[in-house]
Amino acid sequence: MVQLIVTPETALADEPICIRATGLNPFQVVTFTASLTDEKGKLFQSRAFYKANEAGNVALDQAAALGGDYVGVHPMGLFWSLKPVNPFRRLLKQDVMNSPFYIQLDIFDSLLLEDSPKIHPKASQMIERWFSGPGLQRIPVRNGRVRGAFFLPPGEGPFPGVIDLFGGIGGLIEFRASLLASHGFGVLALAYFAYEDLPRSLLEVDLEYFEEAANMLLHHPQIQRSGIGVISVCKGAEIGLAMAIHLEQVAATICINGTNAVHETPCKYRDLVISPIPHQKEYTQIHVSGALNFRRIKGDPRDEVNQQSVLPVEKARGHILFIVGEKDECLNSKAYAEQAMEQLKSHGRSNGTLLSYPGAGHLIEPPYSPLCFASWNPFLSRPFLWGGDIRSHAAAQEHSWREIQKFLRCHLAPSRSKL
Amino acid sequence: MAQIIVHPKTALVDVPLQIRVTGLLPSQLIMLQASLTDERGELFQSQVFYKADENGEVDLEHAGALGGDYVGIHPMGLFWSMKPKKMLSRLLKRDVINSPFLVHLSVYDITKPFSSSPDSLMASETVERWYSTPGVQRIQLKEGRVRGALFLPPGDGPFPGVIDLFGGIGGLVEFRASLLASHGFATLALAYFAYDDLPKNLDVIDIEYFEEAADILLRHPKVLGPSIGIVSVSRGAQIGMAMATFLKQVAATVCINGVFLAEQIVIKYRNEKFFSFSQHLERLRINELGLLAFYSALGNPQEEANKHGLLPVERAEGHILFIVGEKDYSVNSKIHAEQVMEQLRRHGKNNATLLSYPGAGHLIEPPYSPLCVASMNPFIPRPVLWGGETIPHAEAQEHSWKEILKFLRHHLTPTSISKL
Repeated sequence: MVQLIVTPETALADEPICIRATGLNPFQVVTFTASLTDEKGKLFQSRAFYKANEAGNVALDQAAALGGDYVGVHPMGLFWSLKPVNPFRRLLKQDVMNSPFYIQLDIFDSLLLEDSPKIHPKASQMIERWFSGPGLQRIPVRNGRVRGAFFLPPGEGPFPGVIDLFGGIGGLIEFRASLLASHGFGVLALAYFAYEDLPRSLLEVDLEYFEEAANMLLHHPQIQRSGIGVISVCKGAEIGLAMAIHLEQVAATICINGTNAVHETPCKYRDLVISPIPHQKEYTQIHVSGALNFRRIKGDPRDEVNQQSVLPVEKARGHILFIVGEKDECLNSKAYAEQAMEQLKSHGRSNGTLLSYPGAGHLIEPPYSPLCFASWNPFLSRPFLWGGDIRSHAAAQEHSWREIQKFLRCHLAPSRSKL
Repeated sequence: MAQIIVHPKTALVDVPLQIRVTGLLPSQLIMLQASLTDERGELFQSQVFYKADENGEVDLEHAGALGGDYVGIHPMGLFWSMKPKKMLSRLLKRDVINSPFLVHLSVYDITKPFSSSPDSLMASETVERWYSTPGVQRIQLKEGRVRGALFLPPGDGPFPGVIDLFGGIGGLVEFRASLLASHGFATLALAYFAYDDLPKNLDVIDIEYFEEAADILLRHPKVLGPSIGIVSVSRGAQIGMAMATFLKQVAATVCINGVFLAEQIVIKYRNEKFFSFSQHLERLRINELGLLAFYSALGNPQEEANKHGLLPVERAEGHILFIVGEKDYSVNSKIHAEQVMEQLRRHGKNNATLLSYPGAGHLIEPPYSPLCVASMNPFIPRPVLWGGETIPHAEAQEHSWKEILKFLRHHLTPTSISKL
């Protein structure tokens, strides 16, 4: 009798699990599939073809997939290679507290290229992937101008405080904040446009808004007083870098695939206004899939005319971790991070670290998130290209998530004296 | 006032055009767009951004595109970079005699590319792209078992004869045959399954069917004998190679991205049969957009286990031209072509040439055809990845077409045939 053994069946979405099949015929070719229906009813699937060993077993931590959505030994491959059945949909958990993603794992005793109502799996297992740990609290934030959701771990604390910023799609994205909070951080998922009564489009970045949020976080009774962290991606990372430079409350900043200059929207702090390098959309390239590649629309921060837009990273007091995907098709994040590191070095600063991942794309997320290569964007009529090679991207997500937590624990430790 | 000047406005689809935009402001940013609606009503479009020069002109012969569906100087880029609005659609002309494709070229003034505000149209022009020259005749063929369409060039002839074979989509694909006829070859677009009363599926490749077709072609009063040529792609190229191997009537064979092993299908001729269990479907790959790449699942012709599937290509008496796209994701075509070249060399034969194009995909077609990187195949449940990078693929199409015509002329005209 064929059995599919999965442990644990319920886990945090960033935890690996063990998948094994037993009771197969020796050396038979089997298909493992994973299926997930997201909160909008959209189906995501992955499949891989394996050959059972002489004992009729397949253990995904030892066996190599021969084909399908990935090849080789990848115990979590079925998760990070999930693809939307309708292309260009992004997998993004909205309700991070009350429900998990349910993933059905199936094993078929034949080569199955796509689902068929006539062919039934030999064994199935439903598993739960949660974006919040037990005891985690979610507190909606509507404090002064600040809008977002605050995630507090169980217990008394105090916990290191972190602000979580996403990018140019706007709104409020919570899943990374809730996962990070499940690892012992007090995290504020902060919206800055296209959310509730915030401006509908991003016309300027007002750092005083982010300072209000930072102060609000620091003054929470269960948050450490010594300084906060920022984890930020894309446009959020441009803002994160500006926060690191101008806000003394910020002790540790993670910039994922961001820029080292102000682009497209002016950035202001009190009476300082940084004018942006304008986008030049005529340099947009159209990928074979029809998706838009914006990588070349940002002007070069090294050009003479753009110098006033370059962020003075040497003025940042805290530590900065740059995380870069070298196959980022949204922007040339490697060049920007390297320029920032060079700028630190030339000013005798050593508070920057660069982790550069070959093959990783723009949307570097917590581990086992499927690679989103391109997706529909609310502001464009065509899909938007993010880039990335599936396998390298998955490896980058695993590695960088560990580094992110290490970095935050190290630089937000309570023993650190106030900056 | 802005104008688009195009020459020639009516032409065969493989003829390049001169395209110029005049009457712009110096350094004005414009978007050039080409659109075409195919016979099923599917829209294909390309969009490119240019900056006018100091005279307010954009001459595609000299101006470099800044962005859009291609960058750089590509006078025919608007044509080969067109993409379907409905993903996975393939541009394929069905009526090759009575109507052209109408391509609408438009110039827009753009302040913000890809914004939601409508761009302002400044000028437009329509061109006709034909798949046959005036006077090309199409004759439906239904003789014995043979099914297809014969395209005769205008005039009395006689003309060198060519059989044109397409691949695993079945049916009858005529556009390349009509183009070959427009270049002076009496071309038989030959169907072999999923057409008329032919078998619905391709279960066996019986070269005697193709021999029947070759003989019918050679018997036609306007066809110059004593030998014919073959232009074949994909599954068709597998058949083309087998025809070249077994049929004395074949003097020149063009094989585009074929598999030359009797892989998972019997190839037979009279009392000889070839077959190997070389496919490993568990090695199929699915790419980041969910498209199916077959090449990794196909057998390696150099493996010992597959030797009973190898065709005795050293028996081919005519010449062979292999055309290979190195970014072909459906077939490991370079390995197959090289294996045949090696087998010929070992037998002291010197009658084959290999043209290998880096960046080209599976569907290498006549010039200016848009790159079809993936499409649905009626026999396969998922979309199939053909592969190819837009610009190198376009260049491969331009170069290979010239080579194909040269090759056929060289080996099928009277002076060369007498050398056989």
